[in-house]
Amino acid sequence: MSPGRTPSQHNSTLAISPFITNRYSRSVAPPPQQQQQQQQQLTQRQTHSRTQNNEKDGDLLPNSSVNHSRIDNFQAIVSSPLGLKTRDPPAPPSLATPYHQFKGNNDSTRVKNGSMFGYAVPSTVRKVSIQENDYRNTTTRSNNNNNIDDVMDHSESKDGDRLTTTLTTTTTAATAADIDVSDLSSVERLRLWRHDALMQHMYDTAEFVGNKIYTITKDPNDAFWLAQVYYYKGSYKRTIDLLSLDNLDTTSIMCRYLITLCLFNLQKYDDALDIIGETNPFASSNSADMAADEDYDENHEFQSDGGIKIESSLCFLRGKIYSAQNNFTRAKECYKEAVLIDVKNFEAFQQLTNKNLLTPKEEWELLDCLDFSSLDDNKQVIKQLYTIACSNYINKDRIETSKRILCEEYTLESNVDVIKCEVELCFSNCKYNECLDYCERYLAKDELNPKILPTYIACLQELGATNKLFLVSHKLAERIPKDAITWYSVATYYMSLKKIGEARKFYSKSLIMDPSFAAAWLGFVHTFAAEGEQDQALAAYSTAARFFPGNHLPNMFLGMQYMSLNNYALAEEYFTLAYDICSQDPLLLNEMGVLYFKKDEYEKSKKFLNKAMEQVTGLNPTARTTISIQLNLAHTYRKLGDYERAIKCFKYVLEDSEKDGDIYLTLGFLYLKIKQLEKAISYLHKALALKPKNTAAQELLLHALELNVVLAIDDDHPLVVSSKIQNEIDRTEMSPHGVPTMEQAANIKKRPSIPFLDSGRTISKRSRRNDVLKNKSRTNSNHFEEDEAMDLE
Amino acid sequence: MNEAARMEMIQDIKDSLRSSSIHLSQWKLLKSAKWSIEALQGMEDVPLDSSDMSQDNMMDANSSNNHAKTIFNERKNGRIPRMNDGFTEDEFDKYLLASSLFDCKEFDRCVYFLENVSEPRLKFLKLYCKYLSWDKKTVESVENVLVTGKAKDPNQCNDSSDLGRDNEQNSDSNGFTSYLKSKKDGSVQHMEDGHQSSVALILKELRDYLNKNELNLLRSKEGELGVALLYYLKGVLLHQNGNKPQALTAYVNSLSLYSFNWTCWVELLDCISRPDESLLILKHLNEQFELSEQNHYGTQRINTENIMLKFFKLSLFQEFSGNIDEFLANLELLLSIAPNFAYLKVQNALVYYNHMDYTNSESIFDQIIKLDPYRLEDLDIYSNILYVMQKQSKLAYLAQFVSQIDRFRPETCCIIANYYSARQEHEKSIMYFRRALILNKKSTSAWTLMGHEFVELKNSHAAVECYRRAVDINNRDFRAWYGLGQAYEVLDMHMYSLYYFQKACALKPLDRRMWQATADCYAKLKYSSGAIKCYLRALQLSTNPDQEAQLFYRLAEQYEETSELEKCKSYMIKCMELERSNEGLVTDEAIKAKLWLAKNEFQNKNYEEAYNYAISITNGTSQEVEEARTIARNCRMLLK
Repeated sequence: MSPGRTPSQHNSTLAISPFITNRYSRSVAPPPQQQQQQQQQLTQRQTHSRTQNNEKDGDLLPNSSVNHSRIDNFQAIVSSPLGLKTRDPPAPPSLATPYHQFKGNNDSTRVKNGSMFGYAVPSTVRKVSIQENDYRNTTTRSNNNNNIDDVMDHSESKDGDRLTTTLTTTTTAATAADIDVSDLSSVERLRLWRHDALMQHMYDTAEFVGNKIYTITKDPNDAFWLAQVYYYKGSYKRTIDLLSLDNLDTTSIMCRYLITLCLFNLQKYDDALDIIGETNPFASSNSADMAADEDYDENHEFQSDGGIKIESSLCFLRGKIYSAQNNFTRAKECYKEAVLIDVKNFEAFQQLTNKNLLTPKEEWELLDCLDFSSLDDNKQVIKQLYTIACSNYINKDRIETSKRILCEEYTLESNVDVIKCEVELCFSNCKYNECLDYCERYLAKDELNPKILPTYIACLQELGATNKLFLVSHKLAERIPKDAITWYSVATYYMSLKKIGEARKFYSKSLIMDPSFAAAWLGFVHTFAAEGEQDQALAAYSTAARFFPGNHLPNMFLGMQYMSLNNYALAEEYFTLAYDICSQDPLLLNEMGVLYFKKDEYEKSKKFLNKAMEQVTGLNPTARTTISIQLNLAHTYRKLGDYERAIKCFKYVLEDSEKDGDIYLTLGFLYLKIKQLEKAISYLHKALALKPKNTAAQELLLHALELNVVLAIDDDHPLVVSSKIQNEIDRTEMSPHGVPTMEQAANIKKRPSIPFLDSGRTISKRSRRNDVLKNKSRTNSNHFEEDEAMDLE
Repeated sequence: MNEAARMEMIQDIKDSLRSSSIHLSQWKLLKSAKWSIEALQGMEDVPLDSSDMSQDNMMDANSSNNHAKTIFNERKNGRIPRMNDGFTEDEFDKYLLASSLFDCKEFDRCVYFLENVSEPRLKFLKLYCKYLSWDKKTVESVENVLVTGKAKDPNQCNDSSDLGRDNEQNSDSNGFTSYLKSKKDGSVQHMEDGHQSSVALILKELRDYLNKNELNLLRSKEGELGVALLYYLKGVLLHQNGNKPQALTAYVNSLSLYSFNWTCWVELLDCISRPDESLLILKHLNEQFELSEQNHYGTQRINTENIMLKFFKLSLFQEFSGNIDEFLANLELLLSIAPNFAYLKVQNALVYYNHMDYTNSESIFDQIIKLDPYRLEDLDIYSNILYVMQKQSKLAYLAQFVSQIDRFRPETCCIIANYYSARQEHEKSIMYFRRALILNKKSTSAWTLMGHEFVELKNSHAAVECYRRAVDINNRDFRAWYGLGQAYEVLDMHMYSLYYFQKACALKPLDRRMWQATADCYAKLKYSSGAIKCYLRALQLSTNPDQEAQLFYRLAEQYEETSELEKCKSYMIKCMELERSNEGLVTDEAIKAKLWLAKNEFQNKNYEEAYNYAISITNGTSQEVEEARTIARNCRMLLK
């Protein structure tokens, strides 16, 4: 809720009137148009607007970065009696908006982008309306605010058949088809002015005018708008003062929301909580009789306008306050409540998923609980978008399906959320190169996208691309020096250069800016672990574990730390905690396998490592994860006495990985165990070639060689075997189509010399050559005897 | 084989070689291409017209054989492949770009521009470039170590580690140990843009591609060539990773699709590490090996006729030996086809060389030099021959000659090193071997010879290191194993020594020296039964009486160890009798045997016998003669 940085926030807040709870004002509204309008609105998930139907087109269009194709809809809106006039309509039914202005008459479908911010729809004109029955009860507008509670109460009473009327000074929307500015009263014109100033971010002007209006009219609405102006200016204290002056906060829920927001921004969390209430006052209303509830009850009846329910926003704000107070359990509950009340409250959902408040399982449970029915036509797409935002440790297939649907049916394949999902999948599957490709392709369009950048940086670190990391860090530091991600990036760069001190400095800088940045936290703690400062690392990991209850990593790292301290009991405890949060992470399963291995519980170890293997099947086989799991599994098999399988695992590792002395050593050992001396010796040699100082290998080799000496020279001895083989080779006929063996044997004897080669040679040389051959045949014949001799012995 | 058929076959071979040379150079397998065209060049001239004529005549006579005719015509038409066969225009442009980048050695760029190709041959080129780029970077990252590695100083070699291995800090073998180490460590190359490259990654991409597309690709001629190339690359990568069995399969796959890739045959040979494997592969090639029809015209499709298979069998014989007659028949046939092909001549020389017939070998090399004076390949073997024959002046001339041709060829360096070694300048010799190894790190013979030089310098540790490298690269090199054994023997580490001798022996089971060395080791380790068996075996293989006398005596000694005096005595007598059968030949062993017999008879109180033995000892060391006289005197006294 920062002071209007983006048009959407700006407008959406603008559109909120504190005194109006029912915006479904036109009973005469033609249904198809309403629907279209709703669709329009739903595409902007972050909007907080609770606009009236007849005002909506004005508020909508500034937001709608969407759908030029839907211009037809706009035209429908425009030509409907609900459409509001702007000040200088080029043609009576056409509508000018900050973003879209129809050129010429309304038949033209071209949107003139150049007219951005050209005109603003005067929102004041259409803001304030209350129900008709309330209106009847109130005689004057001055005591209107006394009846606000009344208004609130009644506004909820019935859904369908409410008749509302606008309370604004001049206009009624029913006749809005051709409003002329000249028809407006002077105050109304001032309001237009104020609104325009606000739309164009000229806050001083807006304040100037708003102040005058408020002084003239004393209208609580105007007070609210003035407060909004203050809020945008960042004068939170003044906002609060202004709103509390007239006790508006007690009478209007919107005002209360605004005040809380201000207090939150001023970091007065306790005061904020006082105002907003520690729990959701509406919580019971869902179950209780709605009519009996005398408080601000806003329920299903307001869904149809497509805005986000204020109740949900309040819950979200409460969650933010709690999380600022480090009360994550409460925060989590509040966020959950917020998103359950209104699925459109994406921010709450995002907080839950991104900030690791929920475990992967809980995320999916929450997703299944969410009620997307209020979204009508957009139900499908939003549901898929929410799905791909969930943790990809589990239900990968569901994510894949959602992604496919989004790409195929909604052509969102280049949208940031789909890309983000893709990128994270690649990352968690250790496909770093692909991940990098996706990231870079997206970042080319949107360099500073906060959703993609963290994964991108992690990916660069994983690939050891320090040079790129350097460039990215510099770029970020130039462009957004006040963002946590910038300093995270810088710290990561130092981390990959192994400059721990600097890395820590920048991690902590990043954390100051965003204390809930999990990756920076973990990096921060890793710096302690990297320097071997166990105690600090442990303390920091536990803090991280408290901060990110939905993230299993802190607990896992705690376990690892304890394991390195040989405190297996504690390590097991923490691993179990992590396992409860996420039982699918291969790294965790691997660590657990190692733990049980160290505790000599090999069966258990085997179980976990096999589970880990299941998780990594299909990953890049050269990824470090896969290799270390394979290795550990192999060692476990070794301990279990399953040598053959252990050897198989080791060989599998050797196929794909770097050559490692220890692997060769172990293989040598295993072959020694299964009495394959020759292989054992050769592997031990390889081990020593890589690690000449390894005493274990030296001893094993010595032992193997001793065995080799006393190995009886019998039929199985390699020497005898090789002799026999050689024998066979010499007897082989090289061509199957050659002469039969017997004949060939005769040939040898018949052929005294080789005729063709040396026809031109001198006799002496030829005879020499014959000697060679003679020797050859002699050795052959000797050989047979030898074999027999060996047999005899 | 009648003349016409022979002509046709030769024409067929020529066509195949010609087109293969074009293909291979197009796809940058330059060595294979060179080999092919050299072979073609070495073939006798076959007049084209006459062969066509005879072919046509044959066809007329046997007009039912239309099929054969069409094949023949097809062959004629497709005789010379065009560069853009099977390409779309776009692909061909890409190829041309990649090709010129390749020629400029800009591998990374080449990979970049070929990033998304699906054509198999372009895919090959891309992955090949990726591999070469990786290789280049890896080599560059270790090159400094090799170049700056200090000359070895024997005094510094005092490492006490059991294996005689030098630790990394020891400057002695610094260059080599860390050379190997960094070679392994550097196997993942990080590129600055975050793209990793390693053999495993390239291999993965290759596998994925082959799994997905192989069947489709095999439908066209070009696709088949592409798959063959990809399989070849797969083999190279697997080989690089030390996975020989799988590499072997890949090579065989590649060759069955395209057999005219000579380096592929060479690599295949490299993958065979044991004699029994050679037997199996030969059997497989003879029986199951199927050549694809599309890339082999006419006769070359048939296993027994395929000329490349015959060439391979020659090489196989050189490594593992086999039936010599079969080999000679093959060689004769090939020489009759390509009489001027230097490679074949070298094979001929190698046979002589391996059978230690250096004179003949030398004369063939002389011929080769006349035929193709600037061909440097295999000349290092020639220099070995000259070295062994101690023809120093010729060696010096050769060294001068080749260094004028190209100073930076591994062969040149080896020849110069041999020259220095012959002049007893071992330090310089080592320097040149080192150069040779920088230029070609896979040359086993250079490693082994360098090991010998270190032995000359009495630096056993460094020698061990060299031999070990040789063995690591090619574990069939029995000389290196033998050298290892000898080096450890010098270091009095007989247990190690034994193992290495056993290795050498397993590789050369028909070589007496190996068995004898093994037996000696057994004897030194006091394991007599092993020693006896090995001596017996050596005895069977020995060829001259001098060696036999030695063996008899050692055998007798071992029997004495095991207190089998009867056998001991019988061998002593055999040893002695050898002298009698070979007039005038007196061996030390015979004297020792006689002395032993005399003592033995003396103890058994057969004084007369003892006396006879004793007096027959006329020469030998003074001590022995003295001892014999004493026995004779004693006997005489006792007999009286």
